[in-house]
Amino acid sequence: MQTALPKETERLVADPAPGISALPHDDNLRYFDVIIEGPGGSPFANGKFKLELFLPEEYPMAPPKVRFLTKIYHPNIDKLGRICLDILKDKWSPALQIRTVLLSIQALLSAPNPDDPLATDVAKHYKEDEKDAQRVSQEWTQKYAV
Amino acid sequence: MSAKVPRNFRLLEELEKGEKGIGDGSCSYGLEDGDDILMSNWNGTIIGPGHTVHENRIYSLKIFCGENYPDQRPDVQFVSRVNLPFVNQTNGKVDPTKLPVLSNWSRALSIENILVEIRKYVNFFYYFLATFARCCREMASFNNRKLPQPPEGSVF
Repeated sequence: MQTALPKETERLVADPAPGISALPHDDNLRYFDVIIEGPGGSPFANGKFKLELFLPEEYPMAPPKVRFLTKIYHPNIDKLGRICLDILKDKWSPALQIRTVLLSIQALLSAPNPDDPLATDVAKHYKEDEKDAQRVSQEWTQKYAV
Repeated sequence: MSAKVPRNFRLLEELEKGEKGIGDGSCSYGLEDGDDILMSNWNGTIIGPGHTVHENRIYSLKIFCGENYPDQRPDVQFVSRVNLPFVNQTNGKVDPTKLPVLSNWSRALSIENILVEIRKYVNFFYYFLATFARCCREMASFNNRKLPQPPEGSVF
């Protein structure tokens, strides 16, 4: 398990998924600076979102911890950047990897799920007037995710 | 390789613990501003000792976690006026050299540990002062008491 970590990191750095980069800190190989590009066709398109990811001692038996550092208007991401995503919680499996997690977060940007909200006010907005909520998401993207 | 939890994830853990409430509810803490993505400024509350007519005094504190937290101890400051030997009487700042949890700080310690320790001192000084006051009262009443004395010169 001790050798699995650097190998996974190596692959992640050498062969990144499109629109995603993850670099480990020099002084802590379990701690990554992540950038996810907002998916095209979503209100987050053209945004570059900063995240941080940490592999806890129990990884891969426990999921990585991830949060957004860039402000984002999304029903499943709260004001502190915490993400509501099942694979980061009870649906985690040791077969999943950092890459899968980051791709899932990118997919979450394309498909917000206001029925399982973390930011309840944003979710309400999305449910009541999706167009207007998407407009705000786009505004925030242009304002903060550059 | 042991995992060294980075500052932000450590503070998120502390926040979640604080939101659930700790121990008997005599201490609590949370972010000063729920929007503060850096999670630097915290509020703490300590409920002082009960058992008196002036039941349960509430003390508020501010805790500042800098960018090197938890490797570096946080700054702690009382908002409520309180007379304790480790609290600066002009600005409420806690002197870190006078409070063991801060002078012997390590990254294993947390905001919760600080509040719990401060509460112990609050209680200790409260009981110390209360006991001292009671002794003074007893001494005074003892000195004032007029014990009837046998007439001078009488023998057994």
